[in-house]
Amino acid sequence: MDTPVTAQIILGIESSCDDTAAAVLRCDGPRAEILSNVVEGQTALHAAFGGVVPEIAARAHAERLDTVTTAALREAGLTLDRVDGIAVTSGPGLIGGVLAGVMFAKGLAASTGLPFVGVNHLAGHALTPMLTDGLEPPYLMLLVSGGHCQFLLVRGPDDFTRLGGTIDDAPGEAFDKVARLLGLPQPGGPSVQAAAAEGDPERFAFPRPLLDRPGCDLSFSGLKTAVLRARDTLAEAQGGLTETDRADLCAGFQRAVAEVLAEKSRRALDQARAAAGPLTGFAVAGGVAANTELRARLTALAQATGTPFVAPPLALCTDNAAMIAYAGALRLAAGARDDATLSARPRWPLDRTAAPLVGSGKKGAKA
Amino acid sequence: MRPELLILGFDTSAAHCAAALLSGDRVLAARHEDMGRGQAERLIPLLDEVLAEGGAGWSDLSRIGVGIGPGNFTGIRISVSAARGLALGLGLPAVGVSLLDALALGTAGPRLTCLAAPRGQVYVAGHDTAATIPAQALPLEAVPRDWAEPGLVCIGSGADAVAAQLGATPADPALPDAVAIARLAALAPTDRPPAPLYLRAADAAPSRETGPRMLA
Repeated sequence: MDTPVTAQIILGIESSCDDTAAAVLRCDGPRAEILSNVVEGQTALHAAFGGVVPEIAARAHAERLDTVTTAALREAGLTLDRVDGIAVTSGPGLIGGVLAGVMFAKGLAASTGLPFVGVNHLAGHALTPMLTDGLEPPYLMLLVSGGHCQFLLVRGPDDFTRLGGTIDDAPGEAFDKVARLLGLPQPGGPSVQAAAAEGDPERFAFPRPLLDRPGCDLSFSGLKTAVLRARDTLAEAQGGLTETDRADLCAGFQRAVAEVLAEKSRRALDQARAAAGPLTGFAVAGGVAANTELRARLTALAQATGTPFVAPPLALCTDNAAMIAYAGALRLAAGARDDATLSARPRWPLDRTAAPLVGSGKKGAKA
Repeated sequence: MRPELLILGFDTSAAHCAAALLSGDRVLAARHEDMGRGQAERLIPLLDEVLAEGGAGWSDLSRIGVGIGPGNFTGIRISVSAARGLALGLGLPAVGVSLLDALALGTAGPRLTCLAAPRGQVYVAGHDTAATIPAQALPLEAVPRDWAEPGLVCIGSGADAVAAQLGATPADPALPDAVAIARLAALAPTDRPPAPLYLRAADAAPSRETGPRMLA
C-alpha cells in the first residue's frame, strides 16, 4: 500500500503504571491507523501486595521496554528506520516507571536522531475517541480507572478543561480494595462485578458520597469504608459471611459507584454544554468503563440527553501506547519537540487552570 | 573502520553522572559530575558532550557499557533504561557492568569492593580473596571477621567502614567508574541485555487483609 507523503509513522511508549506498552501508528492529520499495539501487564507481580507496588513496577518496566518495543515494531512489520517520530508518556504516573520509559525513549531518540515528544498520559486517554471513532471536539470525556477519575471537556488536542474529579480514591482502586476486604481475587473490577451479579443491590444502604453537593467532584474512600463496616458488623453477628452476604455487599457497592458516576456525569454534561455548546459525544475511558452496570447507566444517560455515547474498545480504554503515539503525533504535527533534558513528572494536571482537587497533596495537583 | 572497539561507558548509580569514551584501552574522553539529583536530565547531554570531545558520533560506537549498580535504584534504572534505548536505536550490544567489579579493576591482590547502602548496610564483593565472597548486601556489623586476610584492601564508598572492621587497608579505586565500566564492557559477553543489580528486594509488604471467614 502506498503511504501518502504526509503520513508519519509514530512509535509510542507507555510505562506510567503497571503496563509496559509500545505501539506503532501511521498518522495522517487527525486520522491514524494502528499498525501494532503491544501491552505487557504486571498483574501477577503485584497480586500478593494488594495493589501496584511502585518499585516492583519500575523494576519490571526497566527490563521490558526494549523487548515490548521490538515486539511492536515486529508486529507492525517495520524497522526503526521507517519510524518518523517517538512519543513517550512523561507523566503523570508512578515516577519510577515513567522515568524508565522517558530514559528509554531518550536513548532511542538520541541514537536515531528521531524527533521525540513527551506526552501527558491523561491526554492520551482524552484524545482516544478521536483515534478510535473519529470524534471531533468538543466532547466530554469521563476517565475512570484504577488511578484516575475525572471529567474532561475536550475542545481540541491541547485544550482540556477539567470539570471535576475524585478528591480521594479512584473507582478502580475502590473496586480493588472492596475485593480484597471481601476475599475476592484481584483485579477487583471483574471479581466484584461477578459477585454483584448474584446479589441484591438494595439490601445495604451505602452512602452516595458528594451527591448532596453541587458540582462534579467525586469521592470513593468513604464508600469503601462503609463496605468494611458492613462486613465487620455481619462477621461479628454471624461469625463470618455467607456467599449471599458477599454478593449483596458487592451489588450494593457497585450500585452506589454507578449511581454516583451517572449523576455526576449528568451534571458534567450540563456544564460542558453550557461552556462549549452542543457536544459531539460523551466518551468514556479507563478500565472501570468496562463495568456493565456503569456502562448501562452512562449509555442511558447519554441517550436521554441526546448525546452520542462513545466507548472505545477496551484494549484502547485501558493503558496502552497507541493512545500515546496518537497524542504524540498530534503534538509532533503541530511542531512540538522535546529534547534530551525532558523530565519525567509524577504530577502533571492536564488542565493547568483548574484548582487542585482537595486531597491531591502538598506538592500540587496530581492529575 | 576503527581497529579498536569504540566503547561508551556511563553510570548514574550514585550521586553522580559519569561517562567515558574509550578506544580499546585508550581513554578519549572522561567526565564525572557530582550531583544529588538531575541525572535523568543530564545523562544524554553529557554523553553527547563526551562523544564530541572524543571526536566520535553515535554511529561510530561498537558497544555500550553501563553501570548496573548496586546503588540508588532509580539512578541505576536511569542508565540501564537509556542504555537499552541506545542499544536498540544503534543496533549495538549494551553490556551491564557491576560497580563492585568496576571498583576492583586496576588494583592487584585480594580486595573487597564496598559500597555504602541505606540503613547501615554495605554492598560488598570479594576479588582474589581466600574465601569466595559473592556480591551481596549486608549490615555493616554483620561483615564476617574471617573475611580478613593479609594484604586485603577495601575499595569504594563503603571502604573505610569495612576496612576498620576487618583491620584491612582502605584504598581509592585505580580508575574512574565510567572508564572501568567501559573496559570491563569490552571484555564481557554481549548475549544478555543490561539488567539492574539491586541486591535488595523491593520494599513492599504483602497485604495483611485476608478477607472475611466464609460460612458454608
